[in-house]
Amino acid sequence: MMILRTPPQRKRRVESVPEQDRSPVSDRRIVPYVGPSDDFVCTYHCRQMVKSEVMVALKTAEKLNLEYKSSLEALSNRLSKCQQEHSKCAHHLCSVEQELQASKGRESALQEQLLKETSEHQERFYEQLKRCSELEVQMQKEVEFRRQAELSADAAKEKSSAVEKELLIISENSEREKNRLQLSFSHSQDESKLLFSRVNAELDRKRIQADNFAKEAELLRKSLLDLKEQLKECLHEKSQLEYKLLSCDSPLVKANPSDNQTLVKHLRDELRKAETELHEARQLKSSHTNKEFLTEQLLEEKGRREKVEMELTRFQEVQLHAQRLESELTSWKSLLKQIPDVSCYDDIPKKIAHLQKEIVENMLKVGEGNARLKELQVALEMSNLSKEHTEKECKLAKEETECTSMEVKRLELMLLSVSGECERLKKDAVNWSKQKSGLPGSGQTNETDLETLLEQKEHAIRELGRNLCQQRESINRQHDEIKALNENFRIESKNVKSLERENDRLRSENSLLELKLGHGDYSVENTKVLRMVNTLGINNEAKHTIETLQIELQKAKSKLQAIEELREYSGEVINTGIPEKLLQLKGQIAVLEKREERYKAVFAEKISVFRRACCSLFGYKIVMDDRQRPNGIPVTRFTLQSIYAQNDDEKLEFDYESGSATILVNEYTSQQEIQHQVEIFIRKMNSIPAFTANLTVESFNSRTLS
Amino acid sequence: MASRTVSKDVITLKGSAAIVAEFFGYAANSILYNRGIYPEESFTKVKKYGLSMLLTQDDDVKSFIASITSQLSEWLEAGKLQRAVLVIMSKSSSEVLERWNFNIETDSEVIEKGVSREKCDKEIMREIQAIMRQIASSITYLPCFDEPCVFDVLAYTDKDVAVPFSWIESDAKLINNPQMVKLHSFDTKIHKVDTMVSYKADEWDEEE
Repeated sequence: MMILRTPPQRKRRVESVPEQDRSPVSDRRIVPYVGPSDDFVCTYHCRQMVKSEVMVALKTAEKLNLEYKSSLEALSNRLSKCQQEHSKCAHHLCSVEQELQASKGRESALQEQLLKETSEHQERFYEQLKRCSELEVQMQKEVEFRRQAELSADAAKEKSSAVEKELLIISENSEREKNRLQLSFSHSQDESKLLFSRVNAELDRKRIQADNFAKEAELLRKSLLDLKEQLKECLHEKSQLEYKLLSCDSPLVKANPSDNQTLVKHLRDELRKAETELHEARQLKSSHTNKEFLTEQLLEEKGRREKVEMELTRFQEVQLHAQRLESELTSWKSLLKQIPDVSCYDDIPKKIAHLQKEIVENMLKVGEGNARLKELQVALEMSNLSKEHTEKECKLAKEETECTSMEVKRLELMLLSVSGECERLKKDAVNWSKQKSGLPGSGQTNETDLETLLEQKEHAIRELGRNLCQQRESINRQHDEIKALNENFRIESKNVKSLERENDRLRSENSLLELKLGHGDYSVENTKVLRMVNTLGINNEAKHTIETLQIELQKAKSKLQAIEELREYSGEVINTGIPEKLLQLKGQIAVLEKREERYKAVFAEKISVFRRACCSLFGYKIVMDDRQRPNGIPVTRFTLQSIYAQNDDEKLEFDYESGSATILVNEYTSQQEIQHQVEIFIRKMNSIPAFTANLTVESFNSRTLS
Repeated sequence: MASRTVSKDVITLKGSAAIVAEFFGYAANSILYNRGIYPEESFTKVKKYGLSMLLTQDDDVKSFIASITSQLSEWLEAGKLQRAVLVIMSKSSSEVLERWNFNIETDSEVIEKGVSREKCDKEIMREIQAIMRQIASSITYLPCFDEPCVFDVLAYTDKDVAVPFSWIESDAKLINNPQMVKLHSFDTKIHKVDTMVSYKADEWDEEE
């Protein structure tokens, strides 16, 4: 067994260093020389050998040292590089932290803004909900009102039906009474006519009688006068005879008693005749007085006849007035039937006031609706703007979070790489430290520095990892908040879409209304179309007539001048009435012109009244238009529009020519239902009134039902 | 012509009605000139709205338009006028070829309460000027009239308006399947006037 000159040193704890690398001589450790003890003293040769071996070992150790130094330098370089990288990473980390803090600040600001906007949207949403609830309440109220109105309408309908029944009964009664009155009137008329004829006949008879009596009275008067004369003569003869009798009383009395008796008889007969004639005269006188009485009666009867005639005319006027009143009554009754909730005439002003109130309320509601529409539009626009703004901010936040997540990932990768390098460095350092365990001294401090650096790095890496986790958590929270905001945005976008749809609908309605405006359509209930009567055409016609009259005037003036020249030249007496006639003619022309203008104005009034009356009576607004066919034949076109029409396009057009009317095909008549009615009533039955009447009834029913 | 208060920016109901009626008179004259209803030599130039406007010198047409504008002014003051339409028809067949529609919206508060509004006169004149320019430039797209034409004026009023002595009810004189062009509008803050022209589509356009 060889005795060791230098005892081996105590081995340190190196776990990784294998024992194979150890050698008794060249184990690469510089072992301090321990002075030889008496036991271990060797010879010079051995010392030289040992010295050479030591020198070799020194050289190798120096080489190793150099190698280690170079490796140390490399390691230190690498350390510096790592430190630089670490500083860079630290700078980058700082910048990232700053960016993170900035993004945090932005996120917090965004969150605050989002919170504000969400709070504002919530408030608006609550307000809209409140408005919706109010609208719903109003709608419910209106539905209730509508129900009440329907109930009241049903009650009114029932009342109206009852009233209609009563009206029917009353109308029937009135018609019966009217018929009865008419019959009585006709009877009374007939009776009056009979009486009148009788009276006339009696009057005529009495007139004739009176004439006869007058003639008889004259005759009797004449006979009376004759008789009076005869009487006078007789009296005179009598007196003469008496005188004669007295004068020649004695001789004659005895001589002729028979003659005297005959005379006396004759005289008595004449007396009787005279008495009878007197009696007749008295009768004549009485008849004359009767005649006067009869003439008075005649006059009275004449007066009565005139009164009866006056009353007849008045009766006719009253009849006409009654007919007019009846027509007005029927029109009012029909109007009453049309108007709901009206049972009698006193209800009409109340109904009108009620309708006016409803109109005002509806106009207010329409105005409120328009105001709400405008508010909703403004809210729509604001929400659109806020939505766009928040979408942009969300996009920005998303991009930022993506960037931060990318950076975080990059940092993680860097950290992983750095941690890998650190581990490798650790391994290298451990190996180096193990290798260096044979070479103690300067390497230990570097090892401790490296270890401290590694520990610091590990600490920094742990801190970075903690920060990363915190950032991940914050990013996850932000993602959750963003998701919640996105959901809110989806809901609001749905609201916005619905509002946009309403906006589009309103715009389409607006465009339709503008189209209708441009087309010239209008509501017949609220609007009427007027134009001037004295259009330029009529003025031109008047001009033409005035021009022709002026030409005729000039001709007449020229004739007048010629006549005056002739008069002056000839000196004959000309009819001075010509200028007077001219003046008269001029006056007549002026009167005729005024009359023509008045007639035109009156005609215009009357035609408008007639049109309105036709519209109210037959239920059609009639417009007459003169046209000319391409072949030059003039044709009158009538356009009928029912008052129960639901659209302004529901018009009937007829061409009227030489007493016959033909229906024209248009959009309304080409509809199936209308075409069917046209075929039945017009083509088959050849009755336009039946067609129009059926159409009015159908449109009235459809309107009342709707 | 228009009765305005001392301050230029205050517009009263009467003043606004006068402005609108005057505008209608000038617009009618411009349409008659540009559409060739009457010969060019029967028109004379005047300065109005910052433009050279053409007015007819025919006494009948002048008196006709004057009487119409006076009646329109009355109805505007009462708030009863809804629309004024100038209709151009064929003289021979009475077929309606063009309708110049002037739609009028009235501020009901002014009618009821008699309040006044504020707007710069220059701005109103500028708006009217724009409409007059558009009327003048309408000849570029409106079809030409191949036959003599006449014109008439229709007034769309409220149902409760009493018909004056020289006016009668009429039909709307519509055009079948018209082409429509919407022009500018002007607003006096009391009356807002929208202008639109609808015309019978030309045969060339229909073929296209």
